[in-house]
Amino acid sequence: MSLNNLILITCRTINQGVALEGGKNTKENVRAAGICAFDSEDFKKLDCLVGTPVKVITDHGEVIVYSTISEEGPHPGIIFIPMGPWANQVVNPDSQACGTPTYKGMKAGVEVIQSGKVLDAVGLISLLKEA
Amino acid sequence: MVAKKIRTVTDVICPFCGTLCDDLEVDIDIKEEKVIEVRNGCQIGTKKYFASNPSDHRYDKPLIKEKGSFKEVSWDEAIDKAANILIKAKRPLLYGFSSTECEAQGKGVELAEILGSILDNTASVCHGPSLLAIQDVGAPTSTLGEYKNRADLIIFWGSNPVHAHPRHLSRYSDFIRGYFRKDGRNDRFIVVVDPRNTHTAQIADIHVQINPSEDYELINAIRAILRGVEIDADEISGVPIEKVKELVETMKSCNFGVIFFGMGLTQTLSHHRNIDAAICLVRELNDHTKFLLTPMRGHYNVAGANQVFSWQTGYSYSIDFSRGYPRYNPGEFSSVDVLMRDEIDASLIVASDPASNFPAASVKNMFKYPLIVIEPHHTPTSVNADIILPPAIAGIECEGTAYRMDSVPLRLRKVKEAPGECLTDKEILEKLIEAVKKKKGE
Repeated sequence: MSLNNLILITCRTINQGVALEGGKNTKENVRAAGICAFDSEDFKKLDCLVGTPVKVITDHGEVIVYSTISEEGPHPGIIFIPMGPWANQVVNPDSQACGTPTYKGMKAGVEVIQSGKVLDAVGLISLLKEA
Repeated sequence: MVAKKIRTVTDVICPFCGTLCDDLEVDIDIKEEKVIEVRNGCQIGTKKYFASNPSDHRYDKPLIKEKGSFKEVSWDEAIDKAANILIKAKRPLLYGFSSTECEAQGKGVELAEILGSILDNTASVCHGPSLLAIQDVGAPTSTLGEYKNRADLIIFWGSNPVHAHPRHLSRYSDFIRGYFRKDGRNDRFIVVVDPRNTHTAQIADIHVQINPSEDYELINAIRAILRGVEIDADEISGVPIEKVKELVETMKSCNFGVIFFGMGLTQTLSHHRNIDAAICLVRELNDHTKFLLTPMRGHYNVAGANQVFSWQTGYSYSIDFSRGYPRYNPGEFSSVDVLMRDEIDASLIVASDPASNFPAASVKNMFKYPLIVIEPHHTPTSVNADIILPPAIAGIECEGTAYRMDSVPLRLRKVKEAPGECLTDKEILEKLIEAVKKKKGE
């Protein structure tokens, strides 16, 4: 299943904060920041179990993350990825000449994937080196 | 008499977020020189202390990448190679500095000037727009102690302190009892403006659920209503007009109000224009009552980086030394923009992890060229670097000065020795400056 016309915002979470201090190449970091939180009604439309990997696609890239239901809902039409390497694959690098990229408010689509897996932070970023 | 096994350090300043909590107590195992207990800290600050212990994630010797794998080398060799890379580069980038102390930041400015490089700190990707707006229109602000003692209306706009500044609410803004707010939380009215019903919104009195990226419209609508303009619309930015009017009345009728704003305003499409409008709103509210605003700074010493860069170069971030004197132009000299244009041909990253925090396209360009990091832990940036220089962690393994989010300087404390051969950020930068000067014949 897939969803379109969503808005992606990236934000801090305490788990992401703890994970980035505790070791960026750990599984805790993947579980904390390699996730996409959905509004519960939106998530029903995806027709999958919590934790199923999904591909998030924006005009600026795509990334595979674990799906989860937001504790901070309801926020229909808005998806949320914690700040970090996964979110930064799909954010808008345009700073509108002020220096700060537009990390919030990208148009996004999401699809449940049949193959592919969620990479850890180092694995994901190292792909950029090889590219 | 039994020999003491534990050393307790009190009144420790937490080097994690801009709140700079100053009441931590840290127990150190004297024999192993390890942190074994942290009291009073939040979950994240506590983790930072434990993560400073020697582990698989911690570097304790200088490393150089050769044929794809890291080799331990002496400090002299690592500094020599790093200096060679920096001198050879035509347009090097010095970035980071927000998670280290002010003395090291000062040395960073000195090195940038000698190299003629671009110098930037992490404000570039977080509160840079706030700095731009403050330069445009000024900012009515105060120290956090004033808010604690006086504020009866607290507005969190685009910030979620429960997650990002976990002890802010209990130390300065919400639950804490103040001189004029004797009943703490009961004496304050909390408003959260956010597209999501955040955990902060869940403990607030009002949650204003705004459409994403439409803060500018709402702030200006509030300004218009404040001036007595009748707005011909049912809703603004997804908020019913009645609720907006109610919010304006709440703002006008408080004794002492404050807006704490975060990334929700700076990282959306309108960037610094949001902050411009918010500052103007606060200025206009002062016709009715006392109102102030304060940015929720992320890294513990990003405010210090702005202070140090400002007093030494005249500018707080996005500085270019290529002409021998500092020039300032966010959008042109800011790190992400220079990387996006593929201008940089070598990078020195100090106490930061841009590979995790910058958009992927800019990271790709950074990885094309030599990369030197001064970084204590394994990060996506450090594992892809060519040279790793391991520092002692400021605020845990060395002293220094840090500026709180309200620009109050506090002295960081040293609680334990750094592992292995780690030097402080300041010492490493001094060695680099010395090596660069020598090679340039200065």
